[in-house]
Amino acid sequence: MDDLYRSELMEVYKDPTYKGNLTYPSIVLDKTNTFCGDHVHLSLLIEKGVIKDAKFDGEMCFVSIIGADFLLEEIIGKNIEDAKKIDQEKVLKLINLNLTTSRIACATLTLKALQEALDKYEK
Amino acid sequence: MLDILKIKSNFPIFFNNKKLVYLDSAATSHKPQVVIDRISQFYSSENANVHRGIYDLSERASEAYDAARKKVAMFINAKNSREIIFTKGTTESLNLVAYSYASNVLKKNDEILVSDFEHHSNFLPWQDVCKKTGAILRVLESDKFGRITKNEWQKKLSTKTKIVSIAHASNVFGTISNIKKIAETVHQFGAVLVVDGAQAIPHLKVDVQDLNCDFYAFSGHKMLAPMGIGVLYAKDKLLDLMQPYQLGGGMIESVSMKETLFAQYPEKFEAGTPNVEGAIALDKAIDYLLDIGMDEIREHEIELSKYLLDGLNKISRIKIFGEIGAEGRTGLVSFYVEGVHSHDISDYLSKSGLALRSGFHCAMPLHQSHRCGATLRASYYLYNQKEDLDFLLINLKKAINYYG
Repeated sequence: MDDLYRSELMEVYKDPTYKGNLTYPSIVLDKTNTFCGDHVHLSLLIEKGVIKDAKFDGEMCFVSIIGADFLLEEIIGKNIEDAKKIDQEKVLKLINLNLTTSRIACATLTLKALQEALDKYEK
Repeated sequence: MLDILKIKSNFPIFFNNKKLVYLDSAATSHKPQVVIDRISQFYSSENANVHRGIYDLSERASEAYDAARKKVAMFINAKNSREIIFTKGTTESLNLVAYSYASNVLKKNDEILVSDFEHHSNFLPWQDVCKKTGAILRVLESDKFGRITKNEWQKKLSTKTKIVSIAHASNVFGTISNIKKIAETVHQFGAVLVVDGAQAIPHLKVDVQDLNCDFYAFSGHKMLAPMGIGVLYAKDKLLDLMQPYQLGGGMIESVSMKETLFAQYPEKFEAGTPNVEGAIALDKAIDYLLDIGMDEIREHEIELSKYLLDGLNKISRIKIFGEIGAEGRTGLVSFYVEGVHSHDISDYLSKSGLALRSGFHCAMPLHQSHRCGATLRASYYLYNQKEDLDFLLINLKKAINYYG
């Protein structure tokens, strides 16, 4: 049973690299998973169309924390256009977890927040 | 004392899923072989539409359907089997009260009173009825025991209140409400009392005349019968005031091009071909429950609740939701682990073969008012043993260690 998740994921869960809040974010966005009430607070620092830094915080389960941390790792340094190309399939591939349907919503919570944040930023 | 192993052997789900430890009976119960066989027997040798043909097979199907109605009436001690309306479940039963009764009698600024621990099915229809009629929905707030205090009743219940709708037992706390006492109070103010009995009927002896509620709604599938069959009990004098909200075959006296005369109740509220297999299987499920004995089932559940509450209390990071003892609750306990998400615990438990629910249990307002995230809910029934709870407790400890 102790191999429920890969051990490196357990380390990410216990100490996520990108957990926290940015002091001077360009944009922040809050998103709730209606299924379970989980909630992510995403902050992004964008300069000249490039995502310079990103942090997440909130009430989140294991799967949503992993989904957030891997996603932010992926987008930092990318320009907005490339970041917008990241879809659900890409996130699921990044985290490489065997998920049931109900938990895909957990894995992609921060992705949805990111997509909304970028749309909002561009408006 | 119930012979649980013998009872368990009546439920083929456990034979076909050897590792299953099922602790989600509050969501749905499993079905004994006799109930499954009853459905098969109906379609194999008795199938015909009811109240339509005058040939033998149809007459027999009609008789079986009517007998099921009488059985339900006997089970809940209704005065007359005509007070039993078959629906597809508690949800449809409550919607029927909302649209066929409440929509017809409510006026602007009348008040409907519900508790904050209601299932969504006992919230949403009332919210909608209020929008349509201009009535006002007021919410009774529960204390940490999952109870409504006298003070809260006094604050919210008034002569403006026309309908009070409340769960006999909460699907999150498990707390059993004193419906008899509530009925007395509600009637003093001239309001009618609707009871959502979904979580109570599988576990408690229900006597609607003794409770003196005006409506009582429940589902078959939580009490060993199939999904898709439910009941609305309504006092006959209220049935006279109700208008059907679904129209069609089987519920008319006569139809002309210009005018329709509805049949008498209960048929009036059962438009279309009813769920005959469901009704007769419910009849069988009632036989099975009575054969084992509702008092014996209750006793067994109280014992399990005591055992589980005791075990959970010994695990330091576990917080029980709804501080109530074994006697005051049906067969369920909701809880959460401090610092670990309920879905993560549930994931871990599920990999060990445990089936229990995590989330809001269709009671989001309650979790909001008690400022609580998703919870885990272990619910048990006549086929569960202490061993099932031991397995839960061991794996809970492992899960807590795993997530650290």
